[in-house]
Amino acid sequence: MYDSKAVRKQYASVFANLLQLDTDSLVSKHDIASELFMNQGITFTVYDNDEGIERIFPFDIIPRIITGTEWQQIEQGIAQRLKALNLFLKDVYNEQQIIRDHIIPASLIASCPHYKREVFGIKVPYDIYVHISGIDLIRGNDGVLYVLEDNLRTPSGVSYMLENREVTKRIFPDMLASNNVRRISHYPVLLHEILLELASTQVSNPRVVLLTPGIYNSAYYEHSFLARQMGIDLVEGRDLLVDNHKVYMKTTKGLEQVHVIYRRLDDEYLDPLVFMKNSVLGVPGLIGAYRKGNVAIVNALGNGVADDKAVYAYVPAMIKYYLNEDPILQNVPTYQLSNPEAMHYVFENYRNMVIKNTNQSGGYGMVMGNTISEKEWLRAKVIIENNPRNYIAQPIVQLSTVPCFINGNIEPRHVDLRPYALYGPKGIKLVPGGLTRVALKAGSLVVNSSQGGGSKDTWIVDE
Amino acid sequence: MLSRIADSLFWLNRYMERTQSILRVIRSHYIISLDKDAIGSTTWRPILEIFAQLTDSEITQIEAKPDIVLQKILTESTNPNSIKTIVARARENARGVQNHITKELWEAVNSMYHLTNKPYLNQKLSGPEALEVVDQLMRQSVLYAGIADITMPRGMGWDFMKLGKYLERSMETIVITDKQCQLFGYDMQQESDITKWRFLLMSLAGYEVYLKTYQTFRHNNNILHQMLLNEHYPHSVIFSLTRINRYLRDVIKDNESNEKLALIRTFGRLYSKVNYMDPERLETMDSRAFFKELRNELLVFHNQLEKVFFSY
Repeated sequence: MYDSKAVRKQYASVFANLLQLDTDSLVSKHDIASELFMNQGITFTVYDNDEGIERIFPFDIIPRIITGTEWQQIEQGIAQRLKALNLFLKDVYNEQQIIRDHIIPASLIASCPHYKREVFGIKVPYDIYVHISGIDLIRGNDGVLYVLEDNLRTPSGVSYMLENREVTKRIFPDMLASNNVRRISHYPVLLHEILLELASTQVSNPRVVLLTPGIYNSAYYEHSFLARQMGIDLVEGRDLLVDNHKVYMKTTKGLEQVHVIYRRLDDEYLDPLVFMKNSVLGVPGLIGAYRKGNVAIVNALGNGVADDKAVYAYVPAMIKYYLNEDPILQNVPTYQLSNPEAMHYVFENYRNMVIKNTNQSGGYGMVMGNTISEKEWLRAKVIIENNPRNYIAQPIVQLSTVPCFINGNIEPRHVDLRPYALYGPKGIKLVPGGLTRVALKAGSLVVNSSQGGGSKDTWIVDE
Repeated sequence: MLSRIADSLFWLNRYMERTQSILRVIRSHYIISLDKDAIGSTTWRPILEIFAQLTDSEITQIEAKPDIVLQKILTESTNPNSIKTIVARARENARGVQNHITKELWEAVNSMYHLTNKPYLNQKLSGPEALEVVDQLMRQSVLYAGIADITMPRGMGWDFMKLGKYLERSMETIVITDKQCQLFGYDMQQESDITKWRFLLMSLAGYEVYLKTYQTFRHNNNILHQMLLNEHYPHSVIFSLTRINRYLRDVIKDNESNEKLALIRTFGRLYSKVNYMDPERLETMDSRAFFKELRNELLVFHNQLEKVFFSY
């Protein structure tokens, strides 16, 4: 909110507005917001003693502001990165030119658990693999935006982005109106259009469904929210069946063919005939229908190879290789621990490093060098040495902070930003906004909701 | 409509109907049991026999302890037919179809669920406030029915909800009436005092209707008439079957399965059996056998309905 001297320009009007409110009215706005989330059932489920408890995702009432100019850079940077990642996926599941040209080592791909040999050679509609992505960005203490992580499988959180805005409309209506904040509410419409466009052109009235693991999934709220916003059926695996390489859903009238599936189910669970044999969430025969081109699956299968944390280090090289451009958004420097020299360097300097497991997300399996105890570090070190391919290290970036309303005071907290990009036959589109995740604990750099993070409404304002 | 969605809507409404019916029975029994021996049974045995799935000796142990019985039927989570379990199941079904029911309806189920999980309920049930708890639950359950009626759009989903409701209601009427007849030893020719029938009538919200409709003293025949054939009484079997007939016609129109004709025939037979009964000879028929037959045929109908619409 502040630069070295004064309140930043884009925050001036919000700051002036907030000055007019006393602590009590801010507290009451905070309470209203929490109540709105609870009543609407915008909750995620935490499991404790076999009993599911519903919690709201903590929401901070003070919006985060990003200027139009900054946004332009984000937009272009993400579009560029997505284009390259998409070309990479097409390449790696077909000709594998990038490996032959020794840009990316074959061993890295071969050892990636998310590389799915089962979908090698499958042609996907319009050569688009990453229809929906949530690329995480952070701002370092040098003021530069970095890409922290590419989420190209089933990124979640978009419903929070939309609901956060709706709640802000209720608690700060005048502030929102007077700031020229760009609109985000058309996200479901854009998504629906893309899903419809992916159906075979020979079908005049394609049927699109959203495949959910079911009511016990922690993101079930988001699944039902998106299905409702798009007016499509929310289905579970048991609602679908495959007959003669076509996918049908079981309705009260009989079977009806499904043309496009927006799945919120991981690759491994999709088809027990191809992947995990004991998965009851998936649909037997689905991959066969996909291979035949009778059904489009969004996002494509096997995308995990492109958002693998070890492959991440090669994304700038991919941009150069496929697009012959310099990356607009920088990577955080990344050390592959499979490289002995890098491992040595990281172990020497572990206090300034964060070490991440390449196969886990949600902040699990992560070592923060600045807070870990000596004893824990020795234990972690052994685990890492046993399987260095599964680990990367990055210097700890001091995430930027924004003002938050915490326990009656305005305090700085670290944040990241996840803008949502949609890639359809007509190109890449970003809704101007995103999910700002906040590390609610003072000083903490971990923003994941499963690790005590919250979120904020994110405004893109034109100066 | 997805079969799973239809199934969930059907069961959501069925469970909520069952909740209301159990609460009404409990309430009537609780009040009437304060007058000793007014209903042919001094204890909660018949209620436990209908709703609790206990062995004979287990019933003997608790039948005279109203607080334990109330906990068993209302709040015990190990009883598969307690209000707490049934409401939890209704909510489970509602959660799975959240985008097919209105927000208000979801909130009605959700708040009833939270009410049944309040830790203070058991304590209240064992004291003088027991009836207050039952009333509170009852209010929530009729609120649900009202909200469903006011906010839910009509169409396929609504038809399945109604099928669930009326199938459940006809079943409850048959089971509860049968239990009452059993207490009289199925001897419908003997003369019974109207006060002996009061529990049945109050449990099915029919006492006032009865007094206003039937002016003769052939109570046994009249009661059976009201429970089976009175078209203006919303808990009579014929009332429910007439509605099932209507909603079934609506949902079956577009269905293309082979079992559809068998379903229509089964229901037709069941409907005619009740519709063309001789109202003058109700008290002389073998009521035990008749109720049993009716129940079995309803079960067959339900199984076929599942096969045609819900098999997924």
